[in-house]
Amino acid sequence: MPDSTCRNRVITVASFLTLLLGWHGAAALIGKEIILPNPAATLQRLVQLMISGGFWSHLAATLSRGLMGFTLSYLAGLIVGLLSGINRNFKDFFHLWLTVIRSTPTMALILLALIWFQAETVTLFVTFLVVFPLITQNVAEGISQINPDLKEMARLYRVPFPTVLLRMYLPAILPYLATGAAAGLGLTWKVIIAAEILAYPKLGIGARMDTARTYLETPEVFAWTVVVIAISLFFDRILQHLIRKQLLYWE
Amino acid sequence: MPEIEFTLEGISKAYGDLLVFSGLSLEVKANRIVAFLGPSGCGKTTLLSIIAGLKAPDQGRVTGLAEKSLSYLFQEPRLLDWLTVAQNLSFVLQDKIPRAKLPGRINYYLEQMEILPYRDVYPRKLSGGQRQRVAMARALAYPSRLLLMDEPFKSLDLSLKWDLITRFRQIWAAAPRTVLLVTHDPKEALLLAHEIYLLSPKPAVIKGHYEVGLSLDERKPDALPLLQLEQQITAALIRD
Repeated sequence: MPDSTCRNRVITVASFLTLLLGWHGAAALIGKEIILPNPAATLQRLVQLMISGGFWSHLAATLSRGLMGFTLSYLAGLIVGLLSGINRNFKDFFHLWLTVIRSTPTMALILLALIWFQAETVTLFVTFLVVFPLITQNVAEGISQINPDLKEMARLYRVPFPTVLLRMYLPAILPYLATGAAAGLGLTWKVIIAAEILAYPKLGIGARMDTARTYLETPEVFAWTVVVIAISLFFDRILQHLIRKQLLYWE
Repeated sequence: MPEIEFTLEGISKAYGDLLVFSGLSLEVKANRIVAFLGPSGCGKTTLLSIIAGLKAPDQGRVTGLAEKSLSYLFQEPRLLDWLTVAQNLSFVLQDKIPRAKLPGRINYYLEQMEILPYRDVYPRKLSGGQRQRVAMARALAYPSRLLLMDEPFKSLDLSLKWDLITRFRQIWAAAPRTVLLVTHDPKEALLLAHEIYLLSPKPAVIKGHYEVGLSLDERKPDALPLLQLEQQITAALIRD
């Protein structure tokens, strides 16, 4: 095990270095910072941003918006997913809605939201419509995977619904809840940045990126992009850690 | 004359063109252990499903079972993998038994099934036989009027089987309830049941009905009256 962990780490580092090197080479080849800034320039701009005043409030704004949107989508997805998984009528009822929402291009959602709402609501609305169907589908899928023999057992022993929900359905779909959370949160950051770029809230990473683009401040666009990637990786790591620790404890 | 627990009248059931029962009628008296003995695939499990209300008969009536609580011991253990042994029992019991009495009741039945040392273990860690004993403890601990058992001793070795049959009889004697036992093993039926119905291959009809005269305490694998009855039953089973 330690051997393979070590080998893994070496490969990860090699992969990262190659990426940096490729980036650096490409930047040198093009030779124009306005088209492709090199890693050093990006890092320098990032540090500048971090010590300048606005950085942390922009970061906080995007983080709180993302987490809020994700939490709302997750709770709604859990409820609708449970209802759909438990009752066929619910499933058929929501199927059409979910299909329509999923088939709508994200940009179309953002444009409509811009017409209807304030900047703050736009980001929440769009995140919700993108992430909620994903969670719903995961939860419903999880419920449908529960062995029908177990459901029959619970019915014969007349176990009341709250007990079945808490001690049978929820633990059984835990792996689905976890994968749903990981996929949903990853999607959240992508969608929230797109929504911020177009909705242009006072505070927010997406809005900063677009301003930087307008002023042809390409290193700043890169610096903010690095921040978003870091956010995404950070939460992904946390979730992976929780999943590995808590899931399938009974195996 | 003991009171009647329930009756089946003219039960017919078919899966597509395959006729499982055609006009099956019988009467089960309260607080008796009744065994249904027949070849594999003769519809014994379907019979239990109809009695449990899981399947509706195509024709005929089941009377006397409405709203009666029942325990069902399946061919497979059907335990929840994410709950410990004790939690699996509490899953079906917690809404039926007062909270204060719950741990004692769970421990008692686990003890009876010789599985108490594993009360905090997850089912995946147990052997097949151990899981079946947990399922049996769950069925017995559940406060029910009827207990339906589908080949309950199938996956157990001989000495454990005998041991559990003895314990089952003790538990039953302490608190009698109506038990239906489905099996293809005449010995099992003879060691446990007050009466035995012999079923034919599909479409199943009752080929024989035997009262086992011996009291439960006198039933030993080598008791002569049992051996004689076993020969009769085996002969009847083989005849077709």
